[in-house]
Amino acid sequence: MHGLRWGDALVVTLALALVGSAFGLVYTPAGGATELVVTQAGAAPRHFPLNEPRTIGIEGTAGVTTIRIEPGRARCLHSPGSQNICERAGWLERPGDMAVSLPNRLVLQVRGPGTDFDSMHF
Amino acid sequence: MTADPGNHDRRIAALAALAIGLQVIEAAIPSPVPGIKPGLANVITLVALVTLGWRAAIAVTLLRVVGASLLLGTLLSPGFWLSLAGALAALSILAPLWRLYPHHLSALGLAVAAALAHTLGQFLLAWALIIPHPQLPLLLPPLLLAALIAGAVTGILTNSVLSDPRIQRHVRNPSTTGTG
Repeated sequence: MHGLRWGDALVVTLALALVGSAFGLVYTPAGGATELVVTQAGAAPRHFPLNEPRTIGIEGTAGVTTIRIEPGRARCLHSPGSQNICERAGWLERPGDMAVSLPNRLVLQVRGPGTDFDSMHF
Repeated sequence: MTADPGNHDRRIAALAALAIGLQVIEAAIPSPVPGIKPGLANVITLVALVTLGWRAAIAVTLLRVVGASLLLGTLLSPGFWLSLAGALAALSILAPLWRLYPHHLSALGLAVAAALAHTLGQFLLAWALIIPHPQLPLLLPPLLLAALIAGAVTGILTNSVLSDPRIQRHVRNPSTTGTG
């Protein structure tokens, strides 16, 4: 390849370093979730700190949703939904992660210290 | 030293037309992931930069962003602002770098730097204003990787365009000319 200069090697090396560090920074398990917010239709949102391991049950219109809480994360263990959508959301550990149980009209979301938008649509 | 202004303007218009054409053609190519595309108009910006100078590169780029958005029907939509933010970010990194061309840096280095700046600029605007979702940074590393690859490809293309003798005789030597 003719016409290349030493500066090209420098720029490409810096670019590779930038891309590599972006992958490293963004994809390292961040955690940061400090509380679980359980929002159920017709009820005020309930907040559970993600501090010590425990299992809680939330009564809903279709049955009981069982939630496992561990330090920094939470997940839906069992929910009455027939497609296991709530369970398949897996561990919620980044602020903003959520799991939904429609039969129980329930939204589980973990939050971090800051207030964040869920989403915005245009 | 300077050509007559009419000629200069005609060259800017011709390059802007080429850039608009490339961007419209690219918009018609289906992409599996939004935000990832080759960015062939980058070639035209760089050709304008090293043949006509800094101000011409800004003019060609702004004409391209507005002209392509008129043809695509995205003027003043979020896509337009993203395009503009990317273009301005790319121009702002080219501002300090282009004087290193051609002695210390070829179009490859310029294109890679511009492509990464373009993606970063777009991303920052998207994250700050358009989709302020806490999970959005998860998209950034793959987008940057795609920008690196696209920048390298367009940079190699630009080098071969600029080595064409018909283009080569217009290439400025930044060490002997003043501001663009």
